[in-house]
Amino acid sequence: MTTSFTKYFFRLDYGGKIERAIARLIAAFEENKFDTGRYPQRWLAIKLLEGDADILSRVQAMPNGTQVIEFAKQDAEKIKSMLGDEVDLLTADRRYGYINGIVRQSLQRPLMDRITLTDRIDDIVTHKWLGLPFFFAVMYVVFRLVIDVSAPFLDWTDAVINGPMAHLFSFILDLTPAPAWIHSLVIDGIVAGVGGVLVFVPGLLILYFFLALLEDSGYMSRAAFVMDRFMRVVGLHGKSFIPMILGFGCAVPAIYATRTIASRRDRVLTALLVPLMSCSARLPVYVVFGLAFFGARAGTVIWAMYALGILVAMLAGMVFTRTILKPDVSSAFVLELPPYRQPALKSVLIHMWENTREFVRKAGTTILYASLVMWLLLNMPWGVTHQRDSYFGKVSGVIAPVFAPLGFGNWQTSGALVSGFMAKEIVVSTMSQIYLSGEEAGITEPVSFSKDVIGIGSGFVTATINSGKILLSILPGVDLIPADEAPNDTALSLVLQEQFTSLSAMSMLVFVLLYVPCVATLGAIKHEFGTSWAVTSAVYQTAVAWIVALMIYQGGRLLGFG
Amino acid sequence: MLNQLVNLLENKENGLSLSEISRAMNAQPSAVLSMIDLLVQKGKLIEIGPDGKCCTTCGLLSDCNLLAARGKRYMVKKSSCTIPF
Repeated sequence: MTTSFTKYFFRLDYGGKIERAIARLIAAFEENKFDTGRYPQRWLAIKLLEGDADILSRVQAMPNGTQVIEFAKQDAEKIKSMLGDEVDLLTADRRYGYINGIVRQSLQRPLMDRITLTDRIDDIVTHKWLGLPFFFAVMYVVFRLVIDVSAPFLDWTDAVINGPMAHLFSFILDLTPAPAWIHSLVIDGIVAGVGGVLVFVPGLLILYFFLALLEDSGYMSRAAFVMDRFMRVVGLHGKSFIPMILGFGCAVPAIYATRTIASRRDRVLTALLVPLMSCSARLPVYVVFGLAFFGARAGTVIWAMYALGILVAMLAGMVFTRTILKPDVSSAFVLELPPYRQPALKSVLIHMWENTREFVRKAGTTILYASLVMWLLLNMPWGVTHQRDSYFGKVSGVIAPVFAPLGFGNWQTSGALVSGFMAKEIVVSTMSQIYLSGEEAGITEPVSFSKDVIGIGSGFVTATINSGKILLSILPGVDLIPADEAPNDTALSLVLQEQFTSLSAMSMLVFVLLYVPCVATLGAIKHEFGTSWAVTSAVYQTAVAWIVALMIYQGGRLLGFG
Repeated sequence: MLNQLVNLLENKENGLSLSEISRAMNAQPSAVLSMIDLLVQKGKLIEIGPDGKCCTTCGLLSDCNLLAARGKRYMVKKSSCTIPF
């Protein structure tokens, strides 16, 4: 019945050897009295020759199925030895060939416009001369948007952490018979330290949102292409740019990404330059100082930090290339530029959330532990009345003169910089602990729970409205922000204004940008290239940071900016 | 078609991406992808990193930023992968 049924239908010719094997197998069905049941004989024979796992298991369970399978296996082996490929590949090849033939005969594709919109955009953004300025302009706009739009939310988060959240912890502690030092540990240690870093979550959310937009649109590949050409001009390998792009997020995966570079010399050179790319951990430091000292120009200053990192990396690359890491044979840089596309909101939001979640997770682990250790060091020997007399204060005081020529020779700053060796965010958390401990301005006057909740809600609405106004003010001809209305300073920013001048703040930012990589980055360099290169990285970066910060501070003073 | 695809990749030291293969074969990427998937499944082709190195031995394969940024490439499987990592 099955034979007569199938003869009216199309039958693809699989070629002499396979067709003969199919015929032999159909004959074997009859010889072995094997009833194919609801399966057409030819179809079943092909599936058995292809070794289809599902069909084999079904046939195995049928009467006389084992003999038929054995016969099919022997024939499939013969075909493989004769034609050099497995039957399923040969049959698939025939099917694809047949489909392709039909498509060619029946489908006429309209002639595509050879110059697509992507090509037209690429003519500008990857242009020999316009490409690089366009890249820097894009990054400038992104950082301006990040700072301007996130500023009201930073104020709101700061107010929530130092207000209602501190009140809540204080209230809970008051309910317990906890001694005063536990109170101090929680409020001055954890809330000031971890909270000081969590304040920047809104800024990071917005930064990652814009970076995800750039990535999803396809522009980041163009940025790599543009920078590749620029890097070759200054003697670096084109492949180095991808790890460097990753370095803007975190230097650790960027160091491991150098594995894709074949030459060890190029890998080492790239790993030495990657930590100069400003990672997201440094952003909180830039934002605190930027908002405290540069107001409306904070976005420009932060953009300048990123640009300076790239510039110093280029110069350092040129120096290394001409001294201890002379170039060997270079290989090609393979980079495919995908067509531009409209970013999907869901994908952008997922990207933004995943990156920010990593930052929050770090705040809950590394920064929490560091805050606890820092609190301990700031309160040892036990009962010390002034933090300057603590172990931390004394050690920091010994180091402080090293930073005096850079404009920030006090023990608080040198201590914060030393703690930043663990992770760069800790610079801010340490400063928060040193400068804000005991302030707790909001706690001095009793506030009710309902007032706090209303304050959080109304503050968020105000921040959203202000951010919206700032965003709309970017449009030409729209001005919703009064000229004298600057974003409020965070609690830490206000204290820092008493300790730094604009010039010393700039010097501090440059030092934070360039000085020794965090311990995790040095660990990655040691793991990949050995201790000597990790030490080289730490020493040269700290030296470069000190020299550049010195040039900025002393040069600025000579020019009358001090 | 499968043979044509394998022959195309035979001498490509750095492999080819899906779009390069579909351009060379004058076929839609979706059609080429099903052929590639079959050949990868059968062990004829391997997926490789953008710089021509094998990714199959890398523990970070499923979460590789580099691969996500620069796309998969395919080459004919010749022998076991030797990566200078």
